[in-house]
Amino acid sequence: MIRFAGAMLVLLAGTLIGYAQAARFAARPRQIRQLIHALQRLETEIQYGQTPLPEALARLAGVVPEPVSGLFANIAGQLEQRAGPTVREIWERAIAGGWSRTAMKTPEREALARLGATLGGSGREDQLKHVRLAMLQLQAEETAAREEQQRYEKMSRSLGVLGAALVVIVLL
Amino acid sequence: MAPNVPDLFVHPLRGVLERLPEHAAMTLEEIRVRENRPLEIGYAGRYAFVRPDGSLAADGRSAYAPGREECRALLERVTRHSLYAVEEELKRGYITVEGGHRVGLAGRAVLERGTVARLKDITGFNVRIARARGGCAAAVLPGILDFRERTVRHTLIVSPPQQGKTTLLRDLIRCISAGEWSHAAAAGWGGRKVGVVDERSEIGACEAGIPSFDLGPRTDILDACPKAEGIMMMIRSMSPEVIAVDEIGRQEDADALAEALHAGVRVVATAHAADLEDVFSRPVLAGMAERGMFGAYVLLSRSGGKVEHRVIAAEQTSREFKSRPKPAIRSPDAFAAERPVP
Repeated sequence: MIRFAGAMLVLLAGTLIGYAQAARFAARPRQIRQLIHALQRLETEIQYGQTPLPEALARLAGVVPEPVSGLFANIAGQLEQRAGPTVREIWERAIAGGWSRTAMKTPEREALARLGATLGGSGREDQLKHVRLAMLQLQAEETAAREEQQRYEKMSRSLGVLGAALVVIVLL
Repeated sequence: MAPNVPDLFVHPLRGVLERLPEHAAMTLEEIRVRENRPLEIGYAGRYAFVRPDGSLAADGRSAYAPGREECRALLERVTRHSLYAVEEELKRGYITVEGGHRVGLAGRAVLERGTVARLKDITGFNVRIARARGGCAAAVLPGILDFRERTVRHTLIVSPPQQGKTTLLRDLIRCISAGEWSHAAAAGWGGRKVGVVDERSEIGACEAGIPSFDLGPRTDILDACPKAEGIMMMIRSMSPEVIAVDEIGRQEDADALAEALHAGVRVVATAHAADLEDVFSRPVLAGMAERGMFGAYVLLSRSGGKVEHRVIAAEQTSREFKSRPKPAIRSPDAFAAERPVP
Protein backbone atom coordinates (compact mmCIF):
# COMPACT_ATOMS: atom_id res chain seq x y z
CA MET A 1 0.00 0.00 0.00
CA ILE A 2 2.73 2.40 0.98
CA ARG A 3 4.66 1.37 -2.11
CA PHE A 4 1.69 2.14 -4.28
CA ALA A 5 1.24 5.52 -2.67
CA GLY A 6 4.94 6.28 -3.19
CA ALA A 7 4.74 5.27 -6.82
CA MET A 8 1.76 7.55 -7.32
CA LEU A 9 3.61 10.42 -5.71
CA VAL A 10 6.62 9.93 -7.96
CA LEU A 11 4.37 9.76 -11.01
CA LEU A 12 2.54 12.90 -9.95
CA ALA A 13 5.76 14.78 -9.28
CA GLY A 14 7.26 13.76 -12.62
CA THR A 15 4.15 14.81 -14.48
CA LEU A 16 4.06 18.19 -12.75
CA ILE A 17 7.72 18.81 -13.52
CA GLY A 18 7.06 17.95 -17.15
CA TYR A 19 4.07 20.27 -17.32
CA ALA A 20 5.94 23.10 -15.62
CA GLN A 21 8.76 22.72 -18.12
CA ALA A 22 6.28 22.73 -20.99
CA ALA A 23 4.60 25.84 -19.60
CA ARG A 24 7.97 27.63 -19.61
CA PHE A 25 8.47 26.74 -23.24
CA ALA A 26 5.03 28.13 -24.01
CA ALA A 27 5.44 31.25 -21.89
CA ARG A 28 8.75 32.38 -23.36
CA PRO A 29 7.54 33.43 -26.83
CA ARG A 30 4.44 34.95 -25.28
CA GLN A 31 6.44 37.09 -22.89
CA ILE A 32 8.87 38.13 -25.61
CA ARG A 33 5.87 39.28 -27.62
CA GLN A 34 4.63 41.30 -24.64
CA LEU A 35 8.05 42.83 -24.30
CA ILE A 36 7.94 43.84 -27.97
CA HIS A 37 4.50 45.39 -27.44
CA ALA A 38 5.87 47.33 -24.50
CA LEU A 39 8.79 48.62 -26.54
CA GLN A 40 6.42 49.68 -29.32
CA ARG A 41 4.58 51.72 -26.75
CA LEU A 42 7.86 53.16 -25.53
CA GLU A 43 8.65 54.16 -29.11
CA THR A 44 5.41 56.12 -29.26
CA GLU A 45 6.01 57.75 -25.90
CA ILE A 46 9.45 58.90 -26.98
CA GLN A 47 8.50 59.99 -30.47
CA TYR A 48 5.18 61.73 -30.01
CA GLY A 49 4.74 62.31 -26.30
CA GLN A 50 8.35 63.11 -25.41
CA THR A 51 7.31 61.66 -22.07
CA PRO A 52 10.05 61.58 -19.44
CA LEU A 53 11.35 58.08 -18.89
CA PRO A 54 9.88 57.39 -15.42
CA GLU A 55 6.36 58.21 -16.62
CA ALA A 56 6.83 56.41 -19.92
CA LEU A 57 7.95 53.22 -18.16
CA ALA A 58 5.09 53.40 -15.69
CA ARG A 59 2.71 53.54 -18.65
CA LEU A 60 4.39 50.55 -20.26
CA ALA A 61 3.82 48.62 -17.05
CA GLY A 62 0.13 49.36 -17.48
CA VAL A 63 -0.21 47.94 -20.99
CA VAL A 64 1.42 44.52 -20.56
CA PRO A 65 0.55 41.72 -18.11
CA GLU A 66 2.78 40.33 -15.37
CA PRO A 67 5.60 39.40 -15.05
CA VAL A 68 6.86 41.73 -17.81
CA SER A 69 4.96 44.69 -16.40
CA GLY A 70 6.62 44.13 -13.01
CA LEU A 71 10.02 44.77 -14.55
CA PHE A 72 8.98 48.15 -15.93
CA ALA A 73 6.99 49.14 -12.86
CA ASN A 74 10.03 48.38 -10.73
CA ILE A 75 12.36 50.51 -12.89
CA ALA A 76 9.86 53.36 -13.07
CA GLY A 77 9.37 53.32 -9.30
CA GLN A 78 13.10 53.38 -8.62
CA LEU A 79 13.62 56.23 -11.07
CA GLU A 80 10.88 58.26 -9.39
CA GLN A 81 12.36 57.64 -5.96
CA ARG A 82 15.82 58.48 -7.22
CA ALA A 83 17.03 55.17 -5.85
CA GLY A 84 20.13 55.15 -8.01
CA PRO A 85 22.33 57.54 -9.87
CA THR A 86 21.70 56.53 -13.48
CA VAL A 87 19.12 54.72 -15.58
CA ARG A 88 21.73 52.15 -16.54
CA GLU A 89 22.37 51.07 -12.97
CA ILE A 90 18.71 50.97 -11.97
CA TRP A 91 17.84 49.10 -15.12
CA GLU A 92 20.56 46.49 -14.63
CA ARG A 93 19.59 45.96 -11.01
CA ALA A 94 15.91 45.58 -11.83
CA ILE A 95 16.61 43.05 -14.57
CA ALA A 96 19.00 41.08 -12.40
CA GLY A 97 16.39 40.96 -9.64
CA GLY A 98 13.23 40.30 -11.63
CA TRP A 99 14.41 38.20 -14.53
CA SER A 100 14.04 34.83 -12.80
CA ARG A 101 10.30 35.49 -12.46
CA THR A 102 9.95 35.50 -16.24
CA ALA A 103 10.30 32.56 -18.61
CA MET A 104 12.72 34.45 -20.80
CA LYS A 105 16.34 33.50 -21.35
CA THR A 106 19.74 35.14 -21.72
CA PRO A 107 19.53 36.50 -25.30
CA GLU A 108 16.41 38.55 -24.51
CA ARG A 109 17.96 39.69 -21.30
CA GLU A 110 21.04 40.92 -23.12
CA ALA A 111 18.99 42.77 -25.70
CA LEU A 112 17.03 44.53 -22.97
CA ALA A 113 20.14 45.32 -20.93
CA ARG A 114 21.78 46.88 -23.99
CA LEU A 115 18.73 49.06 -24.47
CA GLY A 116 18.82 50.11 -20.83
CA ALA A 117 22.41 51.26 -21.17
CA THR A 118 21.45 53.79 -23.84
CA LEU A 119 17.97 54.82 -22.75
CA GLY A 120 17.53 58.44 -21.80
CA GLY A 121 21.09 59.30 -22.73
CA SER A 122 20.64 60.79 -26.17
CA GLY A 123 18.34 62.67 -28.52
CA ARG A 124 15.05 61.44 -29.83
CA GLU A 125 16.19 60.02 -33.17
CA ASP A 126 19.00 58.10 -31.54
CA GLN A 127 16.71 56.71 -28.84
CA LEU A 128 14.24 55.50 -31.44
CA LYS A 129 17.03 53.69 -33.28
CA HIS A 130 18.03 51.89 -30.11
CA VAL A 131 14.46 50.91 -29.27
CA ARG A 132 13.92 49.61 -32.80
CA LEU A 133 17.16 47.67 -32.71
CA ALA A 134 16.10 46.02 -29.45
CA MET A 135 12.73 45.16 -30.98
CA LEU A 136 14.41 43.53 -33.99
CA GLN A 137 16.59 41.42 -31.72
CA LEU A 138 13.58 40.41 -29.67
CA GLN A 139 11.65 39.48 -32.79
CA ALA A 140 14.48 37.15 -33.84
CA GLU A 141 14.44 35.61 -30.38
CA GLU A 142 10.69 35.24 -30.53
CA THR A 143 10.93 33.21 -33.74
CA ALA A 144 13.56 30.98 -32.20
CA ALA A 145 11.48 30.60 -29.05
CA ARG A 146 8.42 29.56 -31.06
CA GLU A 147 10.42 26.88 -32.85
CA GLU A 148 11.66 25.61 -29.51
CA GLN A 149 8.15 25.64 -28.17
CA GLN A 150 6.88 23.50 -31.07
CA ARG A 151 9.75 21.10 -30.73
CA TYR A 152 9.97 20.72 -26.96
CA GLU A 153 6.64 21.63 -25.39
CA LYS A 154 4.89 18.29 -25.96
CA MET A 155 8.12 16.40 -25.56
CA SER A 156 8.85 17.76 -22.10
CA ARG A 157 5.32 16.95 -21.01
CA SER A 158 5.61 13.30 -22.11
CA LEU A 159 9.18 13.19 -20.83
CA GLY A 160 7.96 14.12 -17.37
CA VAL A 161 5.38 11.35 -17.28
CA LEU A 162 7.62 8.76 -18.86
CA GLY A 163 10.61 9.65 -16.69
CA ALA A 164 8.48 9.26 -13.59
CA ALA A 165 7.19 5.94 -14.90
CA LEU A 166 10.78 4.79 -15.43
CA VAL A 167 11.73 5.71 -11.89
CA VAL A 168 8.68 3.83 -10.59
CA ILE A 169 9.54 0.74 -12.59
CA VAL A 170 13.17 0.77 -11.51
CA LEU A 171 12.27 1.23 -7.85
CA LEU A 172 9.53 -1.36 -7.86
CA MET B 1 21.46 70.81 2.81
CA ALA B 2 19.33 73.94 2.73
CA PRO B 3 15.64 73.06 2.54
CA ASN B 4 15.03 74.62 -0.86
CA VAL B 5 18.00 73.07 -2.63
CA PRO B 6 16.74 70.72 -5.31
CA ASP B 7 17.38 67.02 -4.81
CA LEU B 8 19.64 66.66 -7.83
CA PHE B 9 22.99 65.69 -6.46
CA VAL B 10 24.36 62.23 -5.74
CA HIS B 11 26.85 61.05 -3.22
CA PRO B 12 29.61 62.25 -2.60
CA LEU B 13 28.81 65.69 -4.10
CA ARG B 14 25.59 65.66 -2.13
CA GLY B 15 27.46 65.12 1.10
CA VAL B 16 29.77 68.07 0.40
CA LEU B 17 26.79 70.36 -0.14
CA GLU B 18 25.08 69.07 2.98
CA ARG B 19 28.08 70.15 5.04
CA LEU B 20 27.98 73.75 3.85
CA PRO B 21 28.11 76.26 6.69
CA GLU B 22 24.70 77.43 7.86
CA HIS B 23 24.97 81.06 6.68
CA ALA B 24 25.94 80.00 3.16
CA ALA B 25 23.30 77.29 2.95
CA MET B 26 20.53 79.66 3.97
CA THR B 27 21.44 82.32 1.42
CA LEU B 28 22.46 79.95 -1.37
CA GLU B 29 21.86 81.37 -4.83
CA GLU B 30 23.90 79.31 -7.21
CA ILE B 31 25.68 75.99 -7.24
CA ARG B 32 28.19 75.77 -10.03
CA VAL B 33 29.36 72.30 -10.93
CA ARG B 34 32.10 71.82 -13.49
CA GLU B 35 33.44 68.38 -14.22
CA ASN B 36 36.83 67.79 -12.60
CA ARG B 37 37.10 71.44 -11.65
CA PRO B 38 36.49 73.16 -8.32
CA LEU B 39 32.96 73.22 -6.98
CA GLU B 40 31.74 76.78 -6.57
CA ILE B 41 28.72 78.31 -4.86
CA GLY B 42 27.17 81.75 -4.94
CA TYR B 43 25.51 82.97 -1.76
CA ALA B 44 24.41 86.36 -0.45
CA GLY B 45 25.91 88.06 -3.50
CA ARG B 46 29.33 86.48 -3.00
CA TYR B 47 31.18 83.52 -4.46
CA ALA B 48 33.34 80.87 -2.89
CA PHE B 49 34.80 77.47 -3.63
CA VAL B 50 33.82 74.52 -1.47
CA ARG B 51 36.30 72.16 0.14
CA PRO B 52 35.45 68.43 0.51
CA ASP B 53 34.50 69.02 4.16
CA GLY B 54 31.98 71.71 3.17
CA SER B 55 34.01 74.68 4.34
CA LEU B 56 34.41 77.65 2.01
CA ALA B 57 37.64 78.73 0.39
CA ALA B 58 38.60 81.68 -1.74
CA ASP B 59 41.16 79.58 -3.57
CA GLY B 60 40.03 76.82 -5.94
CA ARG B 61 43.03 74.57 -5.47
CA SER B 62 41.89 72.95 -2.24
CA ALA B 63 38.28 72.74 -3.40
CA TYR B 64 36.26 69.65 -4.11
CA ALA B 65 36.17 68.68 -7.80
CA PRO B 66 33.09 66.70 -8.85
CA GLY B 67 33.95 63.70 -11.02
CA ARG B 68 32.55 62.35 -14.25
CA GLU B 69 30.04 59.99 -12.66
CA GLU B 70 28.59 62.70 -10.41
CA CYS B 71 28.15 64.99 -13.39
CA ARG B 72 26.51 62.26 -15.45
CA ALA B 73 24.11 61.51 -12.62
CA LEU B 74 23.40 65.23 -12.19
CA LEU B 75 22.59 65.56 -15.89
CA GLU B 76 20.29 62.54 -15.69
CA ARG B 77 18.40 63.99 -12.77
CA VAL B 78 18.15 67.43 -14.32
CA THR B 79 16.71 65.90 -17.50
CA ARG B 80 14.60 63.39 -15.56
CA HIS B 81 16.62 60.63 -17.21
CA SER B 82 15.27 61.71 -20.58
CA LEU B 83 17.54 63.78 -22.79
CA TYR B 84 15.18 63.07 -25.67
CA ALA B 85 12.38 64.93 -23.91
CA VAL B 86 14.35 68.14 -23.34
CA GLU B 87 15.82 68.73 -26.79
CA GLU B 88 14.15 72.10 -27.06
CA GLU B 89 15.57 73.15 -23.69
CA LEU B 90 19.04 71.93 -24.63
CA LYS B 91 18.89 74.19 -27.65
CA ARG B 92 18.32 77.15 -25.33
CA GLY B 93 20.93 76.00 -22.86
CA TYR B 94 18.94 75.67 -19.67
CA ILE B 95 16.36 73.44 -18.06
CA THR B 96 13.91 74.37 -15.33
CA VAL B 97 13.58 71.62 -12.75
CA GLU B 98 11.07 70.82 -10.03
CA GLY B 99 10.65 73.80 -7.71
CA GLY B 100 11.39 76.41 -10.37
CA HIS B 101 15.16 76.16 -10.08
CA ARG B 102 16.88 76.86 -13.34
CA VAL B 103 19.84 74.78 -14.36
CA GLY B 104 22.07 76.37 -16.98
CA LEU B 105 24.11 73.96 -19.04
CA ALA B 106 27.39 74.28 -20.87
CA GLY B 107 28.92 71.72 -23.17
CA ARG B 108 29.70 71.28 -26.81
CA ALA B 109 27.17 72.66 -29.24
CA VAL B 110 26.00 70.50 -32.11
CA LEU B 111 25.09 72.56 -35.14
CA GLU B 112 22.55 71.76 -37.77
CA ARG B 113 22.36 74.07 -40.77
CA GLY B 114 24.33 76.70 -38.92
CA THR B 115 22.15 76.96 -35.81
CA VAL B 116 22.57 75.23 -32.47
CA ALA B 117 20.60 71.99 -32.54
CA ARG B 118 21.53 70.79 -29.06
CA LEU B 119 24.36 70.45 -26.58
CA LYS B 120 26.44 67.35 -26.02
CA ASP B 121 29.28 66.48 -23.65
CA ILE B 122 27.60 68.60 -21.01
CA THR B 123 30.07 69.21 -18.21
CA GLY B 124 29.12 72.61 -16.81
CA PHE B 125 26.07 73.17 -14.62
CA ASN B 126 24.79 76.28 -12.95
CA VAL B 127 21.96 75.47 -10.56
CA ARG B 128 20.15 78.70 -9.74
CA ILE B 129 18.07 78.39 -6.63
CA ALA B 130 14.62 79.91 -7.03
CA ARG B 131 12.90 81.32 -4.00
CA ALA B 132 9.62 82.96 -3.37
CA ARG B 133 10.09 86.02 -1.22
CA GLY B 134 6.63 87.02 -0.13
CA GLY B 135 6.33 90.72 0.52
CA CYS B 136 9.17 91.98 -1.66
CA ALA B 137 6.63 93.59 -4.00
CA ALA B 138 4.98 95.60 -1.21
CA ALA B 139 7.59 98.34 -1.45
CA VAL B 140 7.49 98.55 -5.23
CA LEU B 141 3.79 98.27 -5.95
CA PRO B 142 2.62 101.69 -4.67
CA GLY B 143 5.09 103.32 -7.06
CA ILE B 144 3.67 101.71 -10.16
CA LEU B 145 -0.05 102.14 -9.50
CA ASP B 146 -2.28 103.92 -12.01
CA PHE B 147 -4.90 105.58 -9.81
CA ARG B 148 -7.09 106.81 -12.67
CA GLU B 149 -7.55 103.35 -14.17
CA ARG B 150 -7.35 101.59 -10.81
CA THR B 151 -4.67 99.19 -11.99
CA VAL B 152 -0.90 99.09 -12.51
CA ARG B 153 1.04 101.08 -15.06
CA HIS B 154 2.97 99.39 -17.86
CA THR B 155 6.09 98.48 -15.97
CA LEU B 156 9.53 97.29 -16.96
CA ILE B 157 11.68 95.74 -14.23
CA VAL B 158 15.32 96.27 -15.08
CA SER B 159 18.42 94.78 -13.53
CA PRO B 160 21.54 92.78 -14.34
CA PRO B 161 21.23 89.01 -13.89
CA GLN B 162 21.06 87.62 -10.37
CA GLN B 163 19.41 90.58 -8.65
CA GLY B 164 15.98 89.12 -8.14
CA LYS B 165 13.96 90.25 -11.14
CA THR B 166 11.98 87.07 -11.35
CA THR B 167 11.46 86.93 -7.60
CA LEU B 168 10.05 90.47 -7.65
CA LEU B 169 7.89 89.76 -10.70
CA ARG B 170 6.51 86.65 -9.01
CA ASP B 171 5.48 88.60 -5.94
CA LEU B 172 4.06 91.46 -8.01
CA ILE B 173 1.89 88.96 -9.87
CA ARG B 174 0.69 87.51 -6.60
CA CYS B 175 -0.15 90.93 -5.16
CA ILE B 176 -1.91 92.21 -8.28
CA SER B 177 -3.88 89.00 -8.56
CA ALA B 178 -4.83 88.98 -4.89
CA GLY B 179 -5.48 92.73 -4.72
CA GLU B 180 -2.82 93.44 -2.09
CA TRP B 181 -1.98 96.88 -3.40
CA SER B 182 -0.08 98.07 -0.32
CA HIS B 183 -1.58 101.52 -0.73
CA ALA B 184 -4.36 103.12 1.29
CA ALA B 185 -6.10 104.66 -1.74
CA ALA B 186 -6.19 101.32 -3.50
CA ALA B 187 -7.62 99.29 -0.66
CA GLY B 188 -10.98 98.61 -2.30
CA TRP B 189 -9.80 97.85 -5.81
CA GLY B 190 -9.78 94.09 -5.52
CA GLY B 191 -7.56 91.78 -7.54
CA ARG B 192 -6.97 91.90 -11.27
CA LYS B 193 -7.00 89.03 -13.75
CA VAL B 194 -3.36 88.31 -14.51
CA GLY B 195 -2.11 86.35 -17.49
CA VAL B 196 1.41 84.99 -17.14
CA VAL B 197 3.32 83.82 -20.18
CA ASP B 198 6.00 81.74 -18.57
CA GLU B 199 8.34 80.88 -21.42
CA ARG B 200 11.12 79.60 -19.17
CA SER B 201 8.81 77.98 -16.62
CA GLU B 202 10.60 80.08 -14.06
CA ILE B 203 7.88 82.38 -12.80
CA GLY B 204 5.39 79.73 -11.78
CA ALA B 205 7.55 76.58 -11.96
CA CYS B 206 4.51 74.65 -13.11
CA GLU B 207 4.26 70.95 -12.62
CA ALA B 208 1.66 69.42 -14.88
CA GLY B 209 0.10 72.84 -15.30
CA ILE B 210 -0.18 73.71 -11.59
CA PRO B 211 2.19 76.45 -10.41
CA SER B 212 4.41 75.47 -7.50
CA PHE B 213 4.79 79.11 -6.43
CA ASP B 214 1.84 81.08 -5.15
CA LEU B 215 0.88 83.44 -7.95
CA GLY B 216 -2.44 84.57 -6.52
CA PRO B 217 -6.04 83.47 -7.03
CA ARG B 218 -6.77 85.28 -10.33
CA THR B 219 -3.73 84.20 -12.31
CA ASP B 220 -3.69 82.13 -15.50
CA ILE B 221 -0.43 80.67 -16.68
CA LEU B 222 0.68 79.63 -20.13
CA ASP B 223 3.59 77.42 -19.28
CA ALA B 224 6.65 76.99 -21.54
CA CYS B 225 5.00 79.06 -24.25
CA PRO B 226 7.04 81.40 -26.47
CA LYS B 227 6.31 84.94 -25.27
CA ALA B 228 5.19 86.55 -28.52
CA GLU B 229 2.71 83.81 -29.36
CA GLY B 230 1.69 83.36 -25.76
CA ILE B 231 0.78 87.03 -25.27
CA MET B 232 -1.50 86.90 -28.30
CA MET B 233 -3.06 83.64 -27.14
CA MET B 234 -3.68 85.11 -23.71
CA ILE B 235 -5.35 88.23 -25.09
CA ARG B 236 -7.56 86.20 -27.40
CA SER B 237 -8.56 83.52 -24.96
CA MET B 238 -8.23 84.56 -21.33
CA SER B 239 -9.17 88.27 -21.29
CA PRO B 240 -6.41 89.27 -18.87
CA GLU B 241 -6.28 92.73 -17.33
CA VAL B 242 -2.56 92.49 -16.66
CA ILE B 243 -0.01 90.42 -18.57
CA ALA B 244 3.26 89.46 -16.96
CA VAL B 245 6.26 88.18 -18.90
CA ASP B 246 9.88 87.49 -18.09
CA GLU B 247 12.95 88.74 -19.92
CA ILE B 248 11.79 90.52 -23.02
CA GLY B 249 14.30 91.68 -25.59
CA ARG B 250 13.45 90.39 -29.04
CA GLN B 251 11.54 92.28 -31.69
CA GLU B 252 8.65 89.74 -31.67
CA ASP B 253 8.22 90.32 -27.95
CA ALA B 254 8.02 94.05 -28.51
CA ASP B 255 5.40 93.65 -31.24
CA ALA B 256 3.29 91.36 -29.11
CA LEU B 257 3.55 93.70 -26.12
CA ALA B 258 2.51 96.62 -28.33
CA GLU B 259 -0.50 94.58 -29.31
CA ALA B 260 -1.33 93.96 -25.66
CA LEU B 261 -1.00 97.66 -24.86
CA HIS B 262 -3.44 98.57 -27.59
CA ALA B 263 -5.83 95.90 -26.39
CA GLY B 264 -6.06 97.76 -23.10
CA VAL B 265 -4.06 95.23 -21.15
CA ARG B 266 -1.47 96.38 -18.65
CA VAL B 267 1.97 94.82 -18.99
CA VAL B 268 4.55 93.98 -16.35
CA ALA B 269 7.78 92.72 -17.87
CA THR B 270 11.40 92.23 -16.92
CA ALA B 271 14.55 92.83 -18.95
CA HIS B 272 18.26 92.34 -18.54
CA ALA B 273 20.04 95.66 -18.36
CA ALA B 274 22.41 97.31 -15.94
CA ASP B 275 20.54 100.59 -15.73
CA LEU B 276 18.21 102.84 -17.66
CA GLU B 277 20.98 103.96 -19.96
CA ASP B 278 21.43 100.33 -20.95
CA VAL B 279 17.75 100.06 -21.66
CA PHE B 280 17.97 103.00 -24.01
CA SER B 281 20.99 101.55 -25.79
CA ARG B 282 19.35 98.20 -26.54
CA PRO B 283 17.58 98.65 -29.87
CA VAL B 284 14.36 96.81 -29.11
CA LEU B 285 13.93 98.14 -25.59
CA ALA B 286 14.88 101.64 -26.68
CA GLY B 287 12.29 101.50 -29.44
CA MET B 288 9.62 100.52 -26.95
CA ALA B 289 10.71 103.14 -24.46
CA GLU B 290 10.76 105.90 -27.05
CA ARG B 291 7.26 105.07 -28.17
CA GLY B 292 6.30 105.60 -24.58
CA MET B 293 5.17 102.06 -24.03
CA PHE B 294 6.23 101.85 -20.43
CA GLY B 295 4.76 103.96 -17.70
CA ALA B 296 7.29 103.09 -15.03
CA TYR B 297 10.65 101.46 -14.61
CA VAL B 298 11.83 99.54 -11.58
CA LEU B 299 15.59 99.35 -11.20
CA LEU B 300 17.04 96.70 -8.96
CA SER B 301 20.47 96.84 -7.48
CA ARG B 302 22.13 94.95 -4.79
CA SER B 303 24.48 95.78 -2.01
CA GLY B 304 25.67 92.90 0.08
CA GLY B 305 22.78 90.52 0.57
CA LYS B 306 20.08 93.16 0.24
CA VAL B 307 18.17 94.02 -2.89
CA GLU B 308 17.32 97.66 -3.36
CA HIS B 309 14.89 99.06 -5.85
CA ARG B 310 14.18 102.41 -7.42
CA VAL B 311 10.94 103.23 -9.23
CA ILE B 312 11.24 105.79 -12.01
CA ALA B 313 8.21 107.13 -13.84
CA ALA B 314 8.50 107.30 -17.61
CA GLU B 315 7.96 111.10 -17.66
CA GLN B 316 11.21 111.60 -15.80
CA THR B 317 13.24 109.32 -18.04
CA SER B 318 12.11 110.77 -21.34
CA ARG B 319 13.12 114.23 -20.26
CA GLU B 320 16.42 112.95 -18.99
CA PHE B 321 17.38 110.89 -21.98
CA LYS B 322 16.11 112.88 -24.94
CA SER B 323 18.21 115.85 -23.99
CA ARG B 324 21.39 113.82 -23.84
CA PRO B 325 23.25 112.68 -26.99
CA LYS B 326 23.88 108.95 -26.87
CA PRO B 327 27.41 107.70 -27.54
CA ALA B 328 27.36 104.97 -30.19
CA ILE B 329 29.96 102.83 -28.47
CA ARG B 330 30.94 103.13 -24.89
CA SER B 331 34.50 102.62 -23.83
CA PRO B 332 35.30 99.87 -21.35
CA ASP B 333 36.35 102.58 -18.90
CA ALA B 334 32.86 103.95 -18.89
CA PHE B 335 31.56 100.52 -17.91
CA ALA B 336 34.09 100.18 -15.16
CA ALA B 337 33.26 103.58 -13.82
CA GLU B 338 29.55 102.89 -13.78
CA ARG B 339 29.55 99.43 -12.34
CA PRO B 340 31.99 99.05 -9.53
CA VAL B 341 32.96 95.40 -9.16
CA PRO B 342 32.06 94.17 -5.70
